[in-house]
Amino acid sequence: MEPLRPGHTSVPGKTEPLDLIAQARAGDTQAWGDLYREFAPAIFRFCRRALPSKEDAEDATMEIFMKLRDKLAQYDTSRSFSAWLYKVAANHCWDILRRRKARHEKDMDDVDDIPLEAPEPNQLERLIEERTSEEVRKALDKLGARARMALVMRYYSDMSYDEIADALGVRRPFVGVVLLRARHELRQALGENTALAMGGTR
Amino acid sequence: MNDTGNSTNKHLDEITLLLYVERQLDRASAQEVSLHTQTCERCLTLLRALDRESRLLTRSMLEQDEPLPARLAEFHAQARKSMQWIWGLVFGMALLGIYSLYTVYIEPWEQQFEQAGFGGTNLLSLLVFQGAFWKGWQSMFTLVEFVALTSFAAFAFFLVRKYLKRGTALAVMFASMSLLMMTAASTPAQSVKIDTDMKGQKLEVKKDEVLRKDLYFAGSQLRIDGTVDGDVYAFAQEVDVSGHVTGDVICFARSARITGQVDGNVRSFTNNVTISGTVAKSVTTMNEDTRLDSAGKVGHNFSAFSQIVTVDGKVGRDVLVMFNEATISGTIEGNMKAKGESLTIASGAQIGGEAKFEGEKPADVSSGATLASPLQFTKIEHKSRTERGVGHYIWRVVWAGAWILLGLVLISLMPGFARETVESAERYGASFGLGVLVFFGVAIASLIACITIVGLLVGISTFFLWLVALFSSYVVVGAVVGCWILGKSTDFWPAVGRMALGVIIVVVATGLPHVGGWIMFGVWLWGMGAISLALYRRLQPMIAPNIPSMPAGPISTPLPPNTTVSPA
Repeated sequence: MEPLRPGHTSVPGKTEPLDLIAQARAGDTQAWGDLYREFAPAIFRFCRRALPSKEDAEDATMEIFMKLRDKLAQYDTSRSFSAWLYKVAANHCWDILRRRKARHEKDMDDVDDIPLEAPEPNQLERLIEERTSEEVRKALDKLGARARMALVMRYYSDMSYDEIADALGVRRPFVGVVLLRARHELRQALGENTALAMGGTR
Repeated sequence: MNDTGNSTNKHLDEITLLLYVERQLDRASAQEVSLHTQTCERCLTLLRALDRESRLLTRSMLEQDEPLPARLAEFHAQARKSMQWIWGLVFGMALLGIYSLYTVYIEPWEQQFEQAGFGGTNLLSLLVFQGAFWKGWQSMFTLVEFVALTSFAAFAFFLVRKYLKRGTALAVMFASMSLLMMTAASTPAQSVKIDTDMKGQKLEVKKDEVLRKDLYFAGSQLRIDGTVDGDVYAFAQEVDVSGHVTGDVICFARSARITGQVDGNVRSFTNNVTISGTVAKSVTTMNEDTRLDSAGKVGHNFSAFSQIVTVDGKVGRDVLVMFNEATISGTIEGNMKAKGESLTIASGAQIGGEAKFEGEKPADVSSGATLASPLQFTKIEHKSRTERGVGHYIWRVVWAGAWILLGLVLISLMPGFARETVESAERYGASFGLGVLVFFGVAIASLIACITIVGLLVGISTFFLWLVALFSSYVVVGAVVGCWILGKSTDFWPAVGRMALGVIIVVVATGLPHVGGWIMFGVWLWGMGAISLALYRRLQPMIAPNIPSMPAGPISTPLPPNTTVSPA
């Protein structure tokens, strides 16, 4: 059986928790508890990947679930609940990161048009071979907000390019560029302390 | 799709390969890439590397490297804890409010009344705990005892709450409240059993009748020609006392007339009151028209806060009057202190003590009046709003500082609630709508609760909560305004900075001439509405307790790659 993916919308055998949602909408505390129990860990990990600190992620998770109370009425039950939930979470995290733009970020608005040099394939293979998941997670912390957000939306919650474009406020054709630049940033961060010189890094 | 290099060494660019890996290319382009990578080793290697990079990214992200923090696992409990902070703070501020109210308003009044000859009776006890309104309460409760008892009950409930289920807790709470109310209501009322409590349209105590208990009356007309051996409490359109009342007369009426004898005090909150009989003790009135006729006598003090005051009779001690228009033509054996627009001391008037008048223009004193000492006149200076003194601005700064301090405390103690309140404030329509409801509705409800004996506890508590919300509204609106200017922040100090900036702006805006008052009113409505909305949302059922700290969610299993690329 195919394992579940947060944002996966068409996993065979997976049913949407429609009953729970209906009960939660009606104010059923137990249903809220069940929904929270089911989705809070995933949303927390999403926030943990997307935001700079654990405290931020905890705050954001709580805020997202508080928001959920108001927004649940807007949920279209014909669509995937988890996908919708990730969209809410992505928008919330991106809002948080945007608010910090003035202090930390420099690349939030426009897609950078500096051309990227293609990496040396073998070096890239070697880099990927040698890096662990933990190192990748640590390297994520060094990325700019948009790069990090794009990678999390795509590779954690499996959001579509359209959804990513919508959340980040970029045009759909630029999503690939954003993701590619994010990967370059990540490679640079991963290779920063090693002798590996990535051909395509900025 | 772009190729790089010359025809013999053409390579696909990285973005094309990435889009292929991500399955974002159309069929034709994908086929081109597929064909190309069959013959180009370099592009195939890069394609595989990108695919492996995707897998590495997905794996890294989905790995459960840390459990759900306890704070999140106990989210609901956390919310409840923060509510406890809220109630603690609210209770503390309520106490502060009581103290402030006492020192700022009641104490000066008390001194005024004492100066006016009320002796040991202070306004607080007069209005709230003294026998005139709730006889017997004073022996049981002082304000401090009352607050202490409430605090103790709340603390005891807090200690044992974990042993109580919700239903039991509610039952205990309501039972306690009922017990307290029953005690409060029954104990002082024992001496005033309601068998003389007359409710009806009209009541007449006839000339030869003697009523040996206190008389409570609510109706259209009360007429006492006989004797009431006790106090009279009347809520009526017309009250006429031509007989004899041995106690006090307390009346809320459209029109009151005392032509007989009252051995105690007269407290009147009416449209007009005329005293042409004898009141052995003091008279206190808040009316439109207060008249002490030439035949009227007041043994002790005469205090009137009315539009028109006429003192033609005799007052045994001091007179304290505030008015638009007053005429003194009778005898005042003590001091007179008057404040108002126009004062006439007519011929035949006698004032035995000091006479002071504070008004806009000097009093018209007839040569036929006899004053023990010359009338001391103090002119009231009306400063226009544009001519504010330095003191005004200093106080504005002090208030701004107080609000910022309050905001600092609120944000540090209740960051989550503070954030929710600001978010609620951003729902402008809901905030203002609820603000109007709370501003008027709660104030009126607390007033109604206060004027009934049973609702005193609820009334005072509600009123102070209302005051706290009113006071805090500046902080809430300040925080929103700060966020408008500097953007939102969830960090502590940036949030405080935004709030402080906003509060300063709000204080400046509310101090503007002409529009400042309206802005202040808007701030009250908006802020109170936001606080109420946030509280309402907090009190809604949210998350069930007992959430495991390490739950297995739907995404807990590792993800195999779904971006498999067939390099063909």
